[in-house]
Amino acid sequence: MRSGHRVPTLTPAMIAIWAAFATVPLWIEHIGLYQYLGVEILIFATYALAYNLVLGHSGLPSFGHGAFFGLGAYGFGLAQFHLVADLWFCLGAAVAAAALGGAIVAAFISHRRGIYYSLLTIAFGQVFWFIAIKSHAITGGEDGLLKIARLPARLGVVSFDLTHNISLFYFVLAVFVAVSLLLWRLVHSPFGRVLKAIKQNETRARFVGYDVWRYKAAVLVLSAGLSGLAGGLFAMAQSSAFPDVMSLHYSGYIVMMTLVGGGLVTFWGPVLGAIVFLLARDVIGAFTTGWMLWFGMLFVALVVYRPEGLGGLFLRPARAKPAAAK
Amino acid sequence: MALFEARELHLRFGDRVVLENISLAFEAGCLSGIMGPNGAGKTTCFNVLTGRYRPDRGRVMFDGADITGRSPQAIARLGIARSFQLMNLFDEFTVFENVAIALPQTRKRGADPIGVAYGDAALVAEVHEILDTVGLGERVDQIAKSLPYGERRALEIAVALASRPKLLFLDEPTAGLGSDGRARLAELVHRLKGQVTLVVIEHDMEFLFSLADVISVIHWGQVIAQGSPAELRTNPWVKNSNLGKLA
Amino acid sequence: MSLLPHLVNGLALGLLFALLALGFMLILGLMEQINLAHGSLFALGAYFSFAIATPRLPLPPDLLHAWAAVPLGWRFTAAIFLAPVLVAPFGVVIERLMRRTYGRDPLYGLLLTFGAAMVIEDLIRIVWGTRDYMLPVPRGISGGFLMLDLIWSTYRFWAAGFAVIAMAVVWLVIERTRFGALVKAGAHDSEIVQALGHDLEKLRVWVFVLGTMMAAIAGVILAPIWGIRPHMGVDAVIPAFVIIVLGGVGSFWGAVLGGLLVGMVVGLSGAYASEWSMLSMYLLLILVVTFRARGLFGKKSVLEA
Repeated sequence: MRSGHRVPTLTPAMIAIWAAFATVPLWIEHIGLYQYLGVEILIFATYALAYNLVLGHSGLPSFGHGAFFGLGAYGFGLAQFHLVADLWFCLGAAVAAAALGGAIVAAFISHRRGIYYSLLTIAFGQVFWFIAIKSHAITGGEDGLLKIARLPARLGVVSFDLTHNISLFYFVLAVFVAVSLLLWRLVHSPFGRVLKAIKQNETRARFVGYDVWRYKAAVLVLSAGLSGLAGGLFAMAQSSAFPDVMSLHYSGYIVMMTLVGGGLVTFWGPVLGAIVFLLARDVIGAFTTGWMLWFGMLFVALVVYRPEGLGGLFLRPARAKPAAAK
Repeated sequence: MALFEARELHLRFGDRVVLENISLAFEAGCLSGIMGPNGAGKTTCFNVLTGRYRPDRGRVMFDGADITGRSPQAIARLGIARSFQLMNLFDEFTVFENVAIALPQTRKRGADPIGVAYGDAALVAEVHEILDTVGLGERVDQIAKSLPYGERRALEIAVALASRPKLLFLDEPTAGLGSDGRARLAELVHRLKGQVTLVVIEHDMEFLFSLADVISVIHWGQVIAQGSPAELRTNPWVKNSNLGKLA
Repeated sequence: MSLLPHLVNGLALGLLFALLALGFMLILGLMEQINLAHGSLFALGAYFSFAIATPRLPLPPDLLHAWAAVPLGWRFTAAIFLAPVLVAPFGVVIERLMRRTYGRDPLYGLLLTFGAAMVIEDLIRIVWGTRDYMLPVPRGISGGFLMLDLIWSTYRFWAAGFAVIAMAVVWLVIERTRFGALVKAGAHDSEIVQALGHDLEKLRVWVFVLGTMMAAIAGVILAPIWGIRPHMGVDAVIPAFVIIVLGGVGSFWGAVLGGLLVGMVVGLSGAYASEWSMLSMYLLLILVVTFRARGLFGKKSVLEA
């Protein structure tokens, strides 16, 4: 960040992105797609932004984030079935369950970095996934947790029904706006800058007096909690929760989305990545059963030739200048 | 009592003894030098003193408190800062932010997840002041990675200064610098002398002999000679070794 | 219930796990690259062996009939030797792509091979469909035998013996040949190897090919036990990496011991809670790595950078 340069809370790009999303229900069906896809994209965009908090902003290559997304989904469903069937409460439960999972993982791995961090997050991801599959009595095992209701959003005297995809879309958009605003602030806050410093040089950060372990643990808990929020929304959207979102595949997909979109170089990269990923799934998937064959190749090509991702392509000319806030 | 004291430090890596019975004392306000041939254990010694390694035996005391084996961040917070021989900056940050992130004010607000990072005018002024001290006032908005070598050295020192240390360790500050850069750095260190207690590891004898108040010579993991530059010039060991020839 | 059969089974399983991890260990230990496509190469080995042994090959009908008339024992043996050769080119392609990530954060190698794993998995789905297959075993080594009043699977013991031989061969190649000495040197100081006039690029390709072929051989040997299905690759790569991290990156004996430990733990926990037996290896990993940061025999490596 430049000297005395204040990063505004609201930027034109941010407002443009929100506004563009707000128009989606008006035209998405006219281009041959469907309303639910919009909901899914927003949920994964939220998830990818939350994930990028660790990958892009803190340099912690978690490969087991699916566990937190899944914990959120199960947290939402189970809270609804066994505790209180209230939207806010259930979303809170989703966040809490995932943050708790994140705290457990963080306690074991926050002194690690690099590939070892990835490997241990894979191991923990597998543990959570495995437990989800085997605890039939609680999670329904591989059959999943079914008949999760799309609860109405109660705001004082008014209450919004979310059973239709369009109303759910706007609710998810509101969450997306809140999460992206929060993360934008966070990235440019003292906390966010310390994370960025740790990402670049952990040793140096320690020698200027930062307790690196705590920052790494805190950011994982936070990212896990927000991933859980996205997971809760996903359970509501799907009206069910399945263990496969916790598998290594899905944990890898979120890394793919984030990188493909350019999460390493731009704040909004993960959003672009989520859009590209889900559109590719539907569009390529319409022509062939093996859509991942093609998307996988695109991903490999990006890792090899353009590790900064699609977002990086647009940013190229601007990167020569000293780092303006992106 | 000295501001900083190391008593009988021992350290081994596997079956190799790296430090053997090292005792050092650095007086407040002085510039103390540490010299010795390559591989003598100087940098390792530094790493023990600043908390990067824990000694197997021995004590490290700072300002009357025992700090042996404390974490680097805990030691840094007590007011000990260091620069690194292999430059250790936040490469993607601007010069400004490298210093700003190291300020105690920033550190205190480190847990603030929504506030503005460096919005405070006093903070900005302080960063500029530190950068002016090391001669980087013109480079504020440049990315650290893009600085020429000598200026990266200066920035290293600025980052160390930013934590407002009582004691500043410099690990081979002239390494890789040309004669011009050395002269500028000598001038900077000379200016810092008196403002902060300094401990400098150095290869360049001329540099150390002209600036230091006290010099300790480390060889084979031991302190083999100690004294003022004048005393050391006449020390038979120093005279006979390569170090002596340089001096 | 006696513990002995579970111990013996755990030991046999451990040897198979070690075999599974061997190719992964080679590429990680000698090239400092995580090959997440290891499992997919393992799966390809299984599918190719299935195609060769059953036989389902794109050959002229006459030739195919002639090949089908050959006894299964010969077809199975041919599969063990041919399948790795057929899988090797996939390894070469991955190495060629990976070359561009050398010197960068090892994370890129991991991501690249994850992408490659996804591609291969879908390729398998397209070619062979999503159903399960079983690789038939020649009569001489199929069935079971009685020992201590218990029935034991002959093939498991045969496969474990094969694993021991494969490990011995790999050990000899790394420790007792010029090639092994060169790649080991190259992993740590590529400049010296180049200064000696050796082509480091070629050396790396060969290491990758060797690792790939080991993955494929493991795929052939394990296919009759674990079955053949598209996601077997991901199912296999995870234990492989657990074993390596457990044993310590860069250590041959660490990988062997890691494999044996995982086999024992999975075997023993299987005796008491078979549903949960696979979970035990992750818990073992987390436990060991919490107390020994680099695994049992690990050395410092670039992975900690």
